[in-house]
Amino acid sequence: MVLNEQLHEMNPAIKFLVVVVSMLTLAWFFNPWTPAIFFVGIVLIQLVCSRINWKLWLLMMIPFVITAFGYLWTTILFAAEAGGTVIWSWKHIEVTDEQFARALSLSFRVIAFSSISLLFAFTTRPVNFVMSLMQQFRLSPKLAYGIMVGYQFLPVVKEEFVQIRHAHRLRGVGDEKWWWQRLFGMRRMLIPLLAAAVRKAERAAFAMEARAFTGEPRTEFFKPVTVRFNDWVLTALFLTLLISSSILGVLLT
Amino acid sequence: MIKLQEKPIPINTSMVMELSNVTFRFPEDDEPILQDVSFTIHQGERVVITGPSGSGKSTLLYLMNRLYPESCDGILSGSITLFGKNQADYLPGEVNARIATVFQDPDSQFCMPTVEEEMAFTLENLNVPRAEMEKRIVEALDTTRLTHLRHTLIQTLSGGMKQRVATACAILMEPEVLLLDEPLSHLDPLTAQEYVGWLDELQKKYGWTVVAVEHRLDAWKDFFNRRLKVISGGFVEQSDSVVAAPILFNKRNTSMVEETVFEALDVSVELKGKTLLHNASIKLRHGEIAVLAGPNGSGKSTLFKAICGILPLSQGRIISRQTLPGYVPQSPEHLFVTQRVEDEVLFSKRAEPRIVGDLMKRLRLDDIHDAHPFAISHGQKRRTAIAAMLVEKRSVLLLDEPTSGQDEAALNELHQLIRTRAEEGLAVLVITHDMEFAASIADTVFLLKEGLLTGEFNAADVWKDEKLLREHSLLPPIGGGLRGT
Repeated sequence: MVLNEQLHEMNPAIKFLVVVVSMLTLAWFFNPWTPAIFFVGIVLIQLVCSRINWKLWLLMMIPFVITAFGYLWTTILFAAEAGGTVIWSWKHIEVTDEQFARALSLSFRVIAFSSISLLFAFTTRPVNFVMSLMQQFRLSPKLAYGIMVGYQFLPVVKEEFVQIRHAHRLRGVGDEKWWWQRLFGMRRMLIPLLAAAVRKAERAAFAMEARAFTGEPRTEFFKPVTVRFNDWVLTALFLTLLISSSILGVLLT
Repeated sequence: MIKLQEKPIPINTSMVMELSNVTFRFPEDDEPILQDVSFTIHQGERVVITGPSGSGKSTLLYLMNRLYPESCDGILSGSITLFGKNQADYLPGEVNARIATVFQDPDSQFCMPTVEEEMAFTLENLNVPRAEMEKRIVEALDTTRLTHLRHTLIQTLSGGMKQRVATACAILMEPEVLLLDEPLSHLDPLTAQEYVGWLDELQKKYGWTVVAVEHRLDAWKDFFNRRLKVISGGFVEQSDSVVAAPILFNKRNTSMVEETVFEALDVSVELKGKTLLHNASIKLRHGEIAVLAGPNGSGKSTLFKAICGILPLSQGRIISRQTLPGYVPQSPEHLFVTQRVEDEVLFSKRAEPRIVGDLMKRLRLDDIHDAHPFAISHGQKRRTAIAAMLVEKRSVLLLDEPTSGQDEAALNELHQLIRTRAEEGLAVLVITHDMEFAASIADTVFLLKEGLLTGEFNAADVWKDEKLLREHSLLPPIGGGLRGT
């Protein structure tokens, strides 16, 4: 039982449920403290219970931080009158403390949401997630294996995309001068890509049917995805963080 | 559940399939694709279904494992009896464990990442108890000698290995009948031969009935003992000849003239830090037809893309006349960017409108100039692509795997097409795995292995050097005869 494996080994469906519940709960709080405390908590849990690539994590956080900052200043400048004491003014613009708190809350919410989403994405293998959804939440096998095939096709479609782009380069498509010309030229790739995708999808469907796949719910699993005691411990940990950040947030404002 | 056990080949014992007066039509078609088909297949037989492209071979195969008529709403008359029971009386998926199928395209018959997960998917479909799954997976991997691949990602395997994994998944179901839909068409000659040998050994051990669809019998040697030919009109006739009748290509006299039209010198290609091509040098002459051959993944397409200017060279230079060589990829439709065949030919900014009319006539495109390039036949697509290349007055034409998956008529047409272009003075370089085709057409052969050009060989000599060919996953052409004098 290694501590930094815990989040990776957690049942994906339960983890997903925790993420959804956390997001829905956080949406009700308009103070800046709740999402901020929650964010710090999530990072701490991830530091202790996972072994993720933090460099990549930081990189992935950049767009969210920019979005959060965007929220901050647009809400300060353009939000409806909220009352409260004026803490800062410049020319005609007056910023009240309540307005500032709300803006801060919104941007921290963006950061909190993205941190828990990244936690899920960084510690979950897509195959396990789909298998777990099928076994814990009775997701239809038709849908589950449909997603799996789509997932397997991603590299194949990418390869096809490269082949078509190479061929198009020969026709002088794709090396136009301006980026918007090139972007507009991309529409030409749509038909060949779709044609190939439909062909491959049909073949895959045949191959699956030929292996006796009917889409009926299955009774036996080679690797059952189980719900273990540790999953409940982690769930309790997340819920404690959620509740305490909610209470603390309210108390601090 | 029938256990895997060794048994001798029992021929003419019990009947596994019986088709009587089967006529089948797709709902969107007016004419039936199969008409009045009757035959029986007995346990342990090895039957091959042959016929030209689009003749209904694969349709016939899909009728045998119940994929049709269910999956396509096709209209079926006559009766198909599988193991003594009418096909319509089976539940969905019920018969698929007894009649397993391996398909043509190695890239689109898996839905899970690793070999083990794919096998588990198969067993879960059959509701095999979990305790038994492990045993059956180990057994099937052991039988097929693929144990070392158990945890490998399927997408990282070669085409030949993917076909073996697909076969192993079929065997895992402990079937009585194995259906194969052109399983060799994406493999290089040596890999194909190895696959056939491997299958032969397994069939002898387990006594399955094998039914395969195949348009080229060369690689199978004497594997089959009966042949069903799908002929025009969708009729099926029995044939006793199960060995490949050599395709007779017209004999060609070289049109090569000692005048270099294209030269690539010490060309290397690096992509993402990996060298895909090392110092390749190629020289092509006026009217020359050359073949470029080598194992899958040896860098043949990379070389093509480098010398026609798609991929940047990391080293070396190219000496060409006005324009770089024209390139027709394995799927010619990848080149298409317009909605009409004629627009396609005229698309290039460097197109010379003067020669378009003549070019379209010579490539027999004048009848279909108004058609949508995606809606025409494969041969027409290739001719359109060639026209789109030649309209820029290119002096070299590169064809990437034009022979793959083509039937005899298409190969003969292709042979004629290439030959005529060479006679018009074009230098043509062709990538192909089809050694019979190569032997019938090439003046020169270039062999490539692991990104290194082994050398340029005179076509007449290279076919005798079995060792050299084997090193490049190739086999000498068999039976390839030439027609005429």
